[in-house]
Amino acid sequence: MSAALRAPPTFTQALRGFVSLADKTARARVAYRAAILVSLCTSALGYVVFFLVWRELYASGTASALMPQADLFSYLVVAFVLNFALSLQVEGRFGQRLRQGLIAADLLRPLGFLSFQLAQALGDLAMNLVFAVPVYAVGFFFLGPGVLPPSATALSCGVVSVGLALLVNFAISYLLVQVSFVTQTLYGVYFARAALHQAFSGVAAPLAMFPGALATWAHAMPFRHVIETPARILLGQARHSEIPGLLFGQAAWALGLLALSSAIFNAVLKRHQIQGG
Amino acid sequence: MDIAIRVEDLRKSYTRRRRGEGFLGGLKAYFSVKPETIVAVDGPSFEIRRGESVGLIGENGAGKSTTVKMLTGILVPTSGKVETLGLAPFRERRRLAMNIGVVFGQKPQLLWDIPAGESFKLLKAMYQIPDEVYRYTYGEAVERLELGELLKTPVRMLSLGQRMRCDLAAALLHAPLVAFLDEPTIGLDVLVKERVRDFLREMRRRFGTTILLTTHDLKDITTTCDRLLVLDRGTLLYDGDLPGFLARYGGDRTLNASLSREPDPESRLALEREVQELGGRVVWEGARSVRVDGSGAGMAPRLTAALLRHLSIEDLSLHAAEIDQVVAKLYQKGSRTP
Repeated sequence: MSAALRAPPTFTQALRGFVSLADKTARARVAYRAAILVSLCTSALGYVVFFLVWRELYASGTASALMPQADLFSYLVVAFVLNFALSLQVEGRFGQRLRQGLIAADLLRPLGFLSFQLAQALGDLAMNLVFAVPVYAVGFFFLGPGVLPPSATALSCGVVSVGLALLVNFAISYLLVQVSFVTQTLYGVYFARAALHQAFSGVAAPLAMFPGALATWAHAMPFRHVIETPARILLGQARHSEIPGLLFGQAAWALGLLALSSAIFNAVLKRHQIQGG
Repeated sequence: MDIAIRVEDLRKSYTRRRRGEGFLGGLKAYFSVKPETIVAVDGPSFEIRRGESVGLIGENGAGKSTTVKMLTGILVPTSGKVETLGLAPFRERRRLAMNIGVVFGQKPQLLWDIPAGESFKLLKAMYQIPDEVYRYTYGEAVERLELGELLKTPVRMLSLGQRMRCDLAAALLHAPLVAFLDEPTIGLDVLVKERVRDFLREMRRRFGTTILLTTHDLKDITTTCDRLLVLDRGTLLYDGDLPGFLARYGGDRTLNASLSREPDPESRLALEREVQELGGRVVWEGARSVRVDGSGAGMAPRLTAALLRHLSIEDLSLHAAEIDQVVAKLYQKGSRTP
C-alpha cells in the first residue's frame, strides 16, 4: 500500500516554516556581524556629514524657514535608524544564488518563492534591529525626547507604518529580482534603485524641504514610503488627518508592486531556462 | 498499478542566440541575432511505479537533468504530458514539493552560513515533518552518512563530499514519496559513495521511496536501481532491467587462454580462420597466451570450442563486458538504433 500524498501546509504550518526561515536567516547574518558593523559605521559617518551641513545651513539662516532645526535633527536620527533597519539583502542574496544556479532549489520549497524571500527579509530586519536600536538610543542621548513618538497615536500608527515600509522596500527589491530574471543581470537595476532611494526616499531630509519639481517626482514614486512616511508619522510630524492617506498609500504601493512582481514571476517561469540542463 | 511518474511524448526545446567567435562576433550578435532551436528532450514516454528505483543515464547533454527539472516542476515542457504523483508538476509545484526530495549534484541547497543541523531544523518546520519520522530519518542520516560533527559546522566550511552527504540527508529528511537525485555521488570518494548508496537503499526499504537517479557512475545504478532508462540526444534509447540491457547491448565476450605448448603455424592459421568466420578476432599475446574476442548470442561456447579444437589449452577464462564498458561503447556509437 503506497503512502498517501501529503497536503500542502495549512496557514499556521506555513507560518511556522516562515518564522523558522526568518530565524535561520538572522542567525546566518550573525556570521557577517563585522560587515554589518562596518556598514553601520560608514552610514553613520554619512549622517554626521548631513548633520554638519544642515547645522551650517541653519546657522546661515538658509534652512530656518523650511523646518525648525530640532525637528529636522530628530527626523534625521529616525531616518537613519529606519534606513539601516530596513536595509534588506534581497537583491544581494538573489544575485548570488542566480549566479550559482541555485534558484531551482528555492523554487522547490513548499513555502513558495515570494514567502521564501520575504521570510529571509524578515531575518535581515531582525539582525539589523540588533544594531539599529542602540543607535536610536544614542540619538535619544544627544537629542532627547524629540526623537521619540510624542503620542500613543504616533507610536501605534508609526509601528504600522514601519511594517508597511518594510513591505514597500521588500516589494521594490522583489520587483528588481523579477526584472533581473529578464535582464539577466542585477547590477544595473540595483544601482538605479539605490540612486532613486537616496534621492527620493527622504533619507537626507523630509520631502517638505524639497524644491517643487523634485517634491513632485518624489511623491510620484514609492521610495518616500520607505523612510519619510514612517519617520514623519513616528515623530508626530504628520497631521492626524494625513495619516490614513499615508498608510493607504504605503499599502497600495506594496500590494501593487507585489502584484506586478508576481505577474512577471509567473510569466518568466514559463519561459525560463536553467543553465547546464 | 500505482504510478509515481508518468511521461508521455515529453518535449522541451529552447531558443538560443548564435554568436560569432571572438570579441567582434560577440559585438555583432547585438545587431544581428541568429536564433537557433535546441531540442533538449525529444519525446520520451515512460512510467515509473511507486517504490521503484530507476537509473537515468545518458551522455552529457542527453536531456537527463532537463527531464528531471520538468518532473519536479521547475521547467515547463514545450509539449507532451508529465505527471508526478498524479500532479501536474509546474502547476502544482508547491503541493508536489511537500512530497518530493531533490538533490542537484554540486549545488548546495542548505543555508550557506549556518550549520547543517540548523538547516535540518528549518526543513523540519518547513515540511511539517512528524516527530517520529524526523527522529528516524535524522538518526539514519547521521549514522549511515556519518554526519555527526558535520552538523555543527557551517555549510560553507564543509568539503564537497561532506556537503553532498548533508544535502542528501536534507533532501530525504521528510521521507519524500519520490526522490530525484541528480548526480548525488559526483565528486565523492569510493567510501562516501558507498555510504550514500547504503542510505538510499535504507530509505527505500523503510519508506518505499521511489527513486529516480541520474548519474555517470554506473555503480550507483547497479547497487541501487532495478531498472534503467537510457537517454540519447533527448530520446529514450532503452527502458528495462539491467540484465536485459546487458543482453541487448553487452554481448561482447573475451576468452583468455594459457597454452600448454606453443602452437604450430597451421594451428594458429586454422584458429584465426574459424574465429574470423564466427565474426570474432584472435590476438596473440605471447608464445603461450592468446585472447579471443567475439560478440553476439551463443558466441562464448563457439569460441571455446574453436580454441579447444586447434590449441592445447592449459587454462581458460571467460569475461563478459561490465555495464560501464557497455555504456561507454553505446555512447561512442552515439546510436539511436538498438
